[in-house]
Amino acid sequence: MILSGPEIKRQIETAAITVTPFDPDLINPNSIDLTLDDKVLRYLNSIIDPRVEQQVAEIEVPPEGLLLEPLSFCLGSSREIVGSNEFVPMVHAKSSTARAGLFVHVTADLIDIGSIGCITFQLFSTLPLLVYPGMRIAQLSFWKPQGEINLYSGKYQGSTGPRKSMIFLDRYWETLPGAGEPAGPSAAAMSDAPTGQRISSWKGADH
Amino acid sequence: MILTGEAITEAVECGDIVIDPFDPARVNPNSCNYRLGSEVVRVEVARDPKLAAVQQRLEPVDGRFLLRKGRFYLGHTLERIGSTRYVTSLIGRSSIGRLGLFVQLSADLGHCGAVHRWTLELLPTIDIYVYPGQVIGQVSFWSTTGDVAAYQGWYGRHDLPMASKLHTDLADHPDIRGLR
Repeated sequence: MILSGPEIKRQIETAAITVTPFDPDLINPNSIDLTLDDKVLRYLNSIIDPRVEQQVAEIEVPPEGLLLEPLSFCLGSSREIVGSNEFVPMVHAKSSTARAGLFVHVTADLIDIGSIGCITFQLFSTLPLLVYPGMRIAQLSFWKPQGEINLYSGKYQGSTGPRKSMIFLDRYWETLPGAGEPAGPSAAAMSDAPTGQRISSWKGADH
Repeated sequence: MILTGEAITEAVECGDIVIDPFDPARVNPNSCNYRLGSEVVRVEVARDPKLAAVQQRLEPVDGRFLLRKGRFYLGHTLERIGSTRYVTSLIGRSSIGRLGLFVQLSADLGHCGAVHRWTLELLPTIDIYVYPGQVIGQVSFWSTTGDVAAYQGWYGRHDLPMASKLHTDLADHPDIRGLR
């Protein structure tokens, strides 16, 4: 079952749901809006090997807006620290965001119960789009669980701001064949580091 | 209601949920991780859904596949997954989403009753290596209300990446049949 907006508000007041800071104006009929914080991360390597720690550039989202180029990818985050030890949160774009062609996650919408922190947005824009700090970009719904609860204690717990993928820490990599690349971005990738307030796209890529 | 990890484990033990092979270490607070299976195909031409898509099987190099941004691939789960009692929802894991890889394209809802290796819709937004056997996504399970009419359809019978069968649906569609 999904919680209604008034029930989300009630559960925030009883501390079963965390939304900090909490603005009652952000409550919808069955979700609560999340606003965009003022920095995003972009990966520097042109090819990602998940077995290797990826280097990122931190880019500010200025008051005059950050241009996301079509088919570009970066990580943003919610200003709000959110989570719950009693309900399962799920991230969605606001319909207004989606109507502008922006994905706020690329299929990883489910948050673990017990995970408390800023939500990392997986921003993938299909059109050129300016995003602004503080804009309502996403929404969070809350779902009632069935069964005994074991709280999340994973590697993204307590995130502040966008967190890059920490998949390289997974222990099962040792059990798989195949070679990882040496750690760190290549010199070629470093020279491709962003210089302006824009997130570059698929343009010029080998398709 | 969404099942907690504990409830998923119990349901696997009593046979209400199939996750095969099952490893309790892959159970999360409200989902269970699955791994990428060994076969990945690139969908090259799917312009007209009245015709079958052209797809090409990729060969792994050094135990991995290089997926290019903007290209579209189908993979499959290593595990056979499903339930005749609960509804399965399949998504990418956050560690993969944070790397810009779509693992399904807005078709996350499975049918109650379908138990098989699930086809994954892989769309990278950045060039990325994927490794057969790596943990790539997670499934959650939801309880239902009302009578359950289990899925008997085509896709549920297959364990390898299955191309879209839109063309066979459209061939029988009265408004479209004559246009071929």
